[in-house]
Amino acid sequence: MKILSLLITLPLAGALATGLIRNVSLAKKLVLVIAGLELLVSLAALQFFNADDGALQLIEKYPWIPSLKIEYLVGVDGISVLFLPMTALVTLMAMGASWHSVQPLSRLYFALLLMLEGVTIGVLSALDMMLFFLFWELTLPPLFFLIGLWGVGPKRRNAAIKYMLFMLFGGVPLLFAIIILAINHAAQINGTIPHDLTFSFPVLMETRLPDNLQQLVFFLLMTGFAVKAPIVPLHTWLPTVTMEGPAQIAAVLAGINLGVYGILRFAMPLAPTAAVECNWVLGILGAITLIYGALIALRQTNLRRLLAYASVSHVGLVIIGIASLNMQGIQGAIFQLVNFTLVAGSLMLVAGFLQQRLGSTEIIHLGGLARVMPQLTCCYFLFMLASMGMPGTNGFPAELLLVLGALLAHPSLGVTALAGAVLSAAYMLSFARSAFLGAIVQTDVRLSQDLLARELVILCIPVLLILGIGFFPNSVLKINQKTAEAWLSRLLDQPVMEGDELVMNLAPQ
Amino acid sequence: MDALVILVPFLPLLAAISIGVGHFSGILNSEARENITADIATWAITLSCLMALALLGGDLLGKNQGFFSVGQWLGSDTLNIRLNFITTGLSVRLAALFSLLLAIISRFSINYLHREAGFYRFFFIFSLFAAAMMLLVLSANAVGTFVGWEVAGLCSYLLISYAYQRPIATYNATRVFITNRIGDAGFIGGIGLSYAWLDSVNWWQLNAAAEQLTIGEATGISLCFAVAAFAKSAQLPFTPWLARAMEGPAPSSAAFYGAAMVHSGVYLVCLLEPVFSKSPFSMAVLGLIGVLTMAYSFIVGQTQADIKSSLAFSSSGQLGLMFLACGLGFWQLASWHLCAHAIVRCWLLLTAPSLMQHVKRGGAKPRSVPVWLYMASAQHFWLDQIVDWALVKPVRGLAHDLSYFDDHIVDRVMGVPAPAMGTLSSLARAEEVIGAKLVNKADDFARGGGLVGKLTEWASAVVYWIEDRFVLRGIGRDAVHYGRQLGHLANKFEQIILRPRYLVLFVCITFLVAF
Repeated sequence: MKILSLLITLPLAGALATGLIRNVSLAKKLVLVIAGLELLVSLAALQFFNADDGALQLIEKYPWIPSLKIEYLVGVDGISVLFLPMTALVTLMAMGASWHSVQPLSRLYFALLLMLEGVTIGVLSALDMMLFFLFWELTLPPLFFLIGLWGVGPKRRNAAIKYMLFMLFGGVPLLFAIIILAINHAAQINGTIPHDLTFSFPVLMETRLPDNLQQLVFFLLMTGFAVKAPIVPLHTWLPTVTMEGPAQIAAVLAGINLGVYGILRFAMPLAPTAAVECNWVLGILGAITLIYGALIALRQTNLRRLLAYASVSHVGLVIIGIASLNMQGIQGAIFQLVNFTLVAGSLMLVAGFLQQRLGSTEIIHLGGLARVMPQLTCCYFLFMLASMGMPGTNGFPAELLLVLGALLAHPSLGVTALAGAVLSAAYMLSFARSAFLGAIVQTDVRLSQDLLARELVILCIPVLLILGIGFFPNSVLKINQKTAEAWLSRLLDQPVMEGDELVMNLAPQ
Repeated sequence: MDALVILVPFLPLLAAISIGVGHFSGILNSEARENITADIATWAITLSCLMALALLGGDLLGKNQGFFSVGQWLGSDTLNIRLNFITTGLSVRLAALFSLLLAIISRFSINYLHREAGFYRFFFIFSLFAAAMMLLVLSANAVGTFVGWEVAGLCSYLLISYAYQRPIATYNATRVFITNRIGDAGFIGGIGLSYAWLDSVNWWQLNAAAEQLTIGEATGISLCFAVAAFAKSAQLPFTPWLARAMEGPAPSSAAFYGAAMVHSGVYLVCLLEPVFSKSPFSMAVLGLIGVLTMAYSFIVGQTQADIKSSLAFSSSGQLGLMFLACGLGFWQLASWHLCAHAIVRCWLLLTAPSLMQHVKRGGAKPRSVPVWLYMASAQHFWLDQIVDWALVKPVRGLAHDLSYFDDHIVDRVMGVPAPAMGTLSSLARAEEVIGAKLVNKADDFARGGGLVGKLTEWASAVVYWIEDRFVLRGIGRDAVHYGRQLGHLANKFEQIILRPRYLVLFVCITFLVAF
């Protein structure tokens, strides 16, 4: 069963093929077919995945650079498996949204989008740390060109450079941490350096890491992932990219949060002692990010900037959930990450539709949209309510779990999360009031069109999923339950930590 | 018999879904489809009412088991949230009463809203509200009740902004929703505490275990739920939202603030009778807030110039009486008062639009009262302004400061400085023409500063500056000058830090950390 390799290579091959076809419309159709196939294959991967097993599954292993013991090792577990179809879905949606709106060099655009999809799937399924790092850095070139060449703002090139520099800055500590882990493995088994190195994640999990290195590795990994998440104060690239870059790419960036995924998958399990000791730092960082993002979102006059800060704020809530170190917190965090794709991604796409119609998402150019675009407004309101955690949508079970987890772990975190929930209603609704409700002021608005059939189809998929998951949240929770249990017991049942007061408080009942 | 209970919230939900989907897809549109829409909503609510009445009959005859569970909705670790319903007692009585009133209002609305632009929207929201309300009163666990609670609040938001072209309506709707959201935070806090201390979110388990709670725990849980109840039932300090909510069409006011939603706070408190009884402090809070709201609403109600605001304040006053009864331990009285008030207030609000025809001019004689009291009453005791001053303004100020901080400090420290060119639209157009072809070779696409490079540059600049001003020229005029400037900056920083909002923020943070 080589389904993961197929998932990684199919879009990459598609990207190459697009480069060979001269005919633009044919190339676009090919791209759409590839993206659709990718979604089907990723759903098949979800089918093959056995949710009753908390271990890594669908593993493929080949030697890659034998002299350094670097392998091609991929696999998924309950944390990552859901993101495969989500990545495929959000890419497909982004493609649909940019079907006609991307005019110059559209073949290159779609090829880069496919490449981004393949590399993202690679990040999500790589289990060899070097392979992971390769994919991680490979996400940068397509994004650099996508933002810099097809951005909508006048400062798009600057935004592309800013994004690139931030991510390169984050990449350095990651690489350091990976090298430290590999050398430590050789030292622990008293081996020689090139011969006994290993970058395999399952092996590194079993290797004992001395306490002083734990702190260092945790700090380095956290710095690397915090840039991508983003956690305050490393978040400033996100508003710039959403303002200057194309909205579809912003949707992909906000929808698939690789930074938080990295924290969950690598940073915490690889340095478990440090993670448990430092989880209060993580909690405080999450709380600051949550409130900081929400307060700044209150001040925004541009829909895309507002959504960027709303994303930052939501990331803060997820970090709080991870820091609470209990089943509710961790399951809520994974749940919320899945929601990002459906909710944050779709909101960005709606913002893109508005940008395309009106040339701006600034509040003074909007106003009274509900009258001329009732369907778009309905969709926007539903996504907005999901983002606020309204019952009936998928946001509610996730936020409920996160808040309960935070309250159980530490009352202050819970109170902060509740304050964040009030603020999220405030910034979302006060923007919606002046943008979508009220009287029409601009002539452009009066003349603009409601959703086209293509756009309606694109938005209907997340709408159905949002309501479906909101009514049946167990469908998502069952998939990651066993993995979350294993993840948590790895962190909390460490022999060294016995008798520690922290663990007594945080241990699941 | 118990299984009937599913249909009570489910039928209106089905109606809401079919009207919503129909209207969204354009099938239900124009005047011709008004009848079928109205039929769907009214029949669904009427049937749901019949089911609730049957359930009530079963309860009176003693045929009901007490609970009905459909299955698990959400499970995580020991957290087990089921979709389950109460089929006896106050819950069923209220379900029957509310659904009856809602069915009547639904029938009333057909004529009232005939040919209105928002006809379909109204019936969609109204059916959704009926479903939410039935779930609220019938759910046997706190999360289910919260779902109904929150969705009912959302429907209230949507109907207050029914005439969404009017800025005042949308402003009031937003304000009402956010005020209610504070109560919702209390509700979630209550759910969290119940789960943390009792390992369950089911109402009956919560009530059964109330005896084992310490007084402190009971006070914590009951105060959280009390905040939620106060917000929903428009008690002090949340009272003014009720007058703002009267922007919606008359039938919606009758349904939300006359018949059903506004009473849910009292229902919640009555439902948690054992927990509240355990905590004398919470009982005292209930009674005190009830009395204060009653007095406040009475005085403010005297000076209202329009009939709906007057009814709103009279409502909140009556609700205050119910809370007082609860606080004094007269739970039965409060629940009967609730039922009676729902009927009377529903009737009053439905007839309010036609009341003008029945009132004789100059009927009531103005009483003479002190001017200050009149002013205070007419201004709602400045409660909105106080909340603005104490909560909204500081949060806005904080947001403003942080936004400045983010743009001018964090972004500059963290990011690559933006190029000097601004967001000139003409330049942007020029770039669009050049497009992605990269004609302009000298643009900054391929030029970067790099964080480390910038840091080095700054460090060298600072060192150079110190060297230049202090070391080379000695302790001269410049040193004094710059020293003074530094002092001014420090002063300014201190002034900012000493603003009340920062003081309060620091106190809050200290409390959070100290917990």
